Order: sequence, then C-alpha cells, then structure tokens
Amino acid sequence: MAPMDGTAFAAVSDDAATTSAPIPNPSREVIGCDALSRHFGQVAALDDVTFRVGEGEFLAIMGPSGSGKTTLLNILSLLDAPTSGSYRLDGIETANLTEKDRVVIRREKIGLVFQQFHLIPYLSAVENVMLAQHYHSVADRDEALEALERVGLAERAGHLPSQLSGGEQQRVCIARALINAPALILADEPTGNLDADNERRVMKLLESLRAEGRTIVLVTHNPALGRQADRILRLEHGRKA
Amino acid sequence: MATDRNASGGGGAAARPLGPRARMFTLMVVRALTKRGSRLTVALGAIAVGAAVVFALTSLYFDISIKMSEELRTFGPNIIISPHVDEKQGGESRLADASLLESAAKSLPADRMVGATPYLYGVVRLDRGNAVLVGADMAAMRALAPYWQVDGGWIAASFDDRNAMVGRRLATSMGLKVGDPVTIVNRDRSTQASVTIKGIMDTGEAEDDQIFINLALAQKILNEPGKANFAMASIVADGAEADSLAASIGQRFPGIEARPIRKVSEADGQILGKIDGLMALVALIILVITTLCVNATLTAMVAERTPQIGLQKAIGASDGSIVAQFLAETALVCLVAVAIGIVGGFLLAQLLGQAVFSAWVTFRPGMVPLTLGLCLIAALAAAMLPIRGAVRVVPARVLRGE
Repeated sequence: MAPMDGTAFAAVSDDAATTSAPIPNPSREVIGCDALSRHFGQVAALDDVTFRVGEGEFLAIMGPSGSGKTTLLNILSLLDAPTSGSYRLDGIETANLTEKDRVVIRREKIGLVFQQFHLIPYLSAVENVMLAQHYHSVADRDEALEALERVGLAERAGHLPSQLSGGEQQRVCIARALINAPALILADEPTGNLDADNERRVMKLLESLRAEGRTIVLVTHNPALGRQADRILRLEHGRKA
Repeated sequence: MATDRNASGGGGAAARPLGPRARMFTLMVVRALTKRGSRLTVALGAIAVGAAVVFALTSLYFDISIKMSEELRTFGPNIIISPHVDEKQGGESRLADASLLESAAKSLPADRMVGATPYLYGVVRLDRGNAVLVGADMAAMRALAPYWQVDGGWIAASFDDRNAMVGRRLATSMGLKVGDPVTIVNRDRSTQASVTIKGIMDTGEAEDDQIFINLALAQKILNEPGKANFAMASIVADGAEADSLAASIGQRFPGIEARPIRKVSEADGQILGKIDGLMALVALIILVITTLCVNATLTAMVAERTPQIGLQKAIGASDGSIVAQFLAETALVCLVAVAIGIVGGFLLAQLLGQAVFSAWVTFRPGMVPLTLGLCLIAALAAAMLPIRGAVRVVPARVLRGE
C-alpha cells in the first residue's frame, strides 16, 4: 500500500507544501492494466487498453465524452469488471476476485472522489468522513475532524451537505477519500461542478497529495487540469489515442 | 490516527473495538429515520395500527373465553354430578349422600364456580293435588338459575324452612298466589309441613310444574335425611374444559360421576370457537394489510435512497452491512410503533370489552412480546423485497445518475 503513516494529511491543506511521507517508488506498480476491454453488448466502451501507474504517480485520463474514461475508472475502482484483459491493483490480480473481495479491496486500497460529490444527506460533514472509517475499520471522530481541518473545513464539520457549498462538499469528499490512507486515489471530474475558485482549491489539494507521494488517477475533460498530472492517458472511442 | 485504525482495521473484526462501530451504526440508523419524517410517519402509523388491532384482539381472545362463559352461565348449570349408575344392575338411579355431592361440587375450582346445589325430588300432595317437590339449596339457586323470571321473591337463605317457590303452571292450575299458605304432605301422609308461597317463577322448563323448598325441609318431608338425587353446578368453562373438570370429579370421588350438560357446554364451545376464529381472521387480515403498507413504504424509501446505497457500497459497505442497516431501521420503527400500538390497542380492547361484554379487559403482559413478535415478523417480511432491491443496487450505475 501507499504511505499510511500517521501523517497522512500533513500536506493536505491549501497552504501545505511539505511532507514527511516516505519517498514513493515509481518503479513499484500500483496499477497494471493489460489489454483491458469492456463491452456492453456489441459496443466496445473500452478496447485493448494497456498502461501502468507507478507508486506516487499522478495520471490524468483525458478524452471526449464517450471515450471510455468513466468505464475505465469504474474498472480501476472495482465497481465494474473488464470483459477481457487483466487489471492488477497494488500487486493483486483482480480478475478472479469475488464481489466480497472487491468490496474489501475497494475500502482498503481506494479513495474515491466523484464529480457529483455524493455525500449522505442526513449525515454531517464529519459523519460523512466517519462513514468511510466505519466501513474500513472503526469510526474516529477526532481523526475525521483532523481530516476536515486539513481540507480547510474544521468549522463546517457539523453542517449537513445541504448547508455546504459545492466546493465545500467536494472537499468533504476528498477528506473522506483520504481518511483511510488508500494506496490509490481515483477522482472522476472532481472539479466538474465547481466554480473557478473552488476548482483551484481542489486541484491544490490534489497537488499536495501528489507531493506527499500519493498515487492519483484523475479523469478530466479539462486540459489545464490534465497538464498538472505527471502523465496523460488519452482515450478515443475506447482506445488509447 | 489512521495508523492505529489501519493496524486494527486490517486485522479483522475480532481486533476491533465494538463500541465505536455500534455507535456509528446506531447514528446512521437513527439519522436515516429521523430525517425522513413523512415516510417514517406512514410506516410508523401502519405498524402502530396493526399492533393496536393485534394487541386488542389477542387480549380479547384470551379474555373472551372467560367473559363469554360468564355470559353463558346465565343459561343455567352446565355440569351434573350424580351417583354412578351401574347399567348391569338395571341402570336404576339411586340416592346419594347430599354431603358427598356437595363435596364433589366444591372440588371444582372456586374461582370458576358460579353456583352449585344438590337436588332431591319426590312426589307430594299439596292442598289441591299432587306435585313434584324439589329440595335444593335455594340460596345457591338464584346464581344457578338467574334466567328464572320470578314474581314475588327468591328464598334468600338455605336454612329458610317457611317459604316455597312454585312454578307458574303449577301455581295457575292450583290457584296459588304469592303469600298463599300451602301444606305439603308426604305421599304416605306420615310427614307434612306448612309453607308460604314466596315466589312464582317462569322458567320455560319442567320447573314450571314443580314446587321448590330448601333441601333440609324436603329431606324431612320425603323421609330421606341427608340424601339427594344429584347435584348441578354452573362453572365458567367452555366445552372442553367442562369435560375435563367433570372427568376430574369422577376420578376423585369413586361412586360419583359427573358429566357436562351438552346443550350448554357444547354451545359454549361452538360460540367461543366461532368468535375466536373470527378474531384470528381479523388479526391476520390486519397483519397482511400492515405488511403490504410497510412494504410499499420501505420500497419507496429504498428507491429514494438508491444513490446513497450506491455510495455506501462504493466506499466499502458490504451487502451485509446494507442489509443490517435496513433491518435495524425496520426493527427500530417497529419497536416504536408497537409501543404506541400497545397503548392504543389496550384502549381499543377496553372499548370492545365494554361494548360487547360490559366488562374491562385485563392487561396481559404476555400480549406485549406476542404483539411485538407478530409485528416484527410482519415488518421484516415486508422489508425483504425492498432490502433485496437495496442489495442489488449497482454503484457504478447509480453514481452516474442512471
């Protein structure tokens, strides 16, 4: 797994730039996809895609609508399975995993950030973060509050999602994605519903995570955001462009 | 911190403290319910109504046997106790010790006893002709035969040897009126007694042709000291119970046999059986309606929460934890609804008890777990399909808004 020491959030704040996390080893594979394909009936949403992501790497997946970005992200997050090909996550071959195993690996190794935030409406910001802790191991309010503090939302911890702005909701999502110190952070258009100011804040958070040595895969339409990644994987009609 | 949680979290559930997990689970369940006022009210109301009806009907079900038997006791005695008749010896009935018959009657449960008395029959001569004389405990007779329509008054004490009661037809044929003196003479004219007609009764049965006096006086007139033909008792029991109680007398008193008077005890059983069956049917229908209503509400709740279920699964919720959450929510709603329903059901039982039996229905603590159990079964059965739907939510689809 990626660094999971007690300083998981040390660098995750608007102003943070330093980290005490272990130096990542880019030669160590976190994602390994070989000839990955996903068909829906006769339609090939993803066709023969091969790539690797090393530890600490920041990969942007880009492409027009319908190019297979989300399909690929669903496979990478173990929410879907490829029709053919191979996907290794942190050294684990996922092809023959049961649904139960996929759930366990997802909560242990993956942090998800969605374009539409997806917070539980009846839980407060801190409780939404604690929910991810609860499914992973055990909820710890202090730790969840610390996570919110480091995304700049300590004072909004008790608010319901409906009382938060879009940018604040997305930062709660990032805190929730990071709370279990996952090996991989998958972000699907995380700034797609945000204004420019909030977009900048969220990207700064992702950059600081990259600086900390986190492995990040970002799906985006936005070329400006893509340029901040170490590498860009371009998709067109389900294939690598 | 994350390190500590991860160390315990990766090691399996056994190493994890239960407290925080239970607290978070409870928080999710309570919040999910309290933030859904309208839906929760519908589910709560449906189960509460179901619980109220089930509680009221089951309370009545267990009270009704006693209440109905008490009502039916106004139709007269339902057990006859007599000396054993040996068919091989001609089957002739014989007299028994009245005290033995009384003891046998007293062996019946005192809390179920309405009344009992020995009877001694004989033919006597009155001033204007012969008549059947009946000696009985006239103080007990009033409880035993409350359906008698009496002009004048009852003989109130069992030691009263100055008064008699006469059946309507006998009084009419002999021109007797309340307050008239009557001389009762033994058939061999060896014994006689003068009494006053205290009451004239209409019974609609053979008693309308008979004259009733207290047992001791009858024994004296008929020269049968300490004897009686049989005893009759009225007890609060339905057909099967009456059979059982009668059988127990036969076992305890050799030479004595007791048997239910069928026309009454069987009527008890048939009426009670029909009413019990009707109440069980009504309770079942209400439970089915409750189940359908809760099912519809939960289905709507699951549909409404599909994106949240998808999110929970995406961030690591297992099917088991989704099922546990919905079951806990259903059970919690059920508990609150049953608590409300029991209060309402007890009040409903009182209304029904007063309307039908003019009696209060007893609060039976045993009905609480029974009602809770039945409602839990109904609610959980109602939750099965919606929960199955929740488990089948595909996160990748719902998170994309499909």
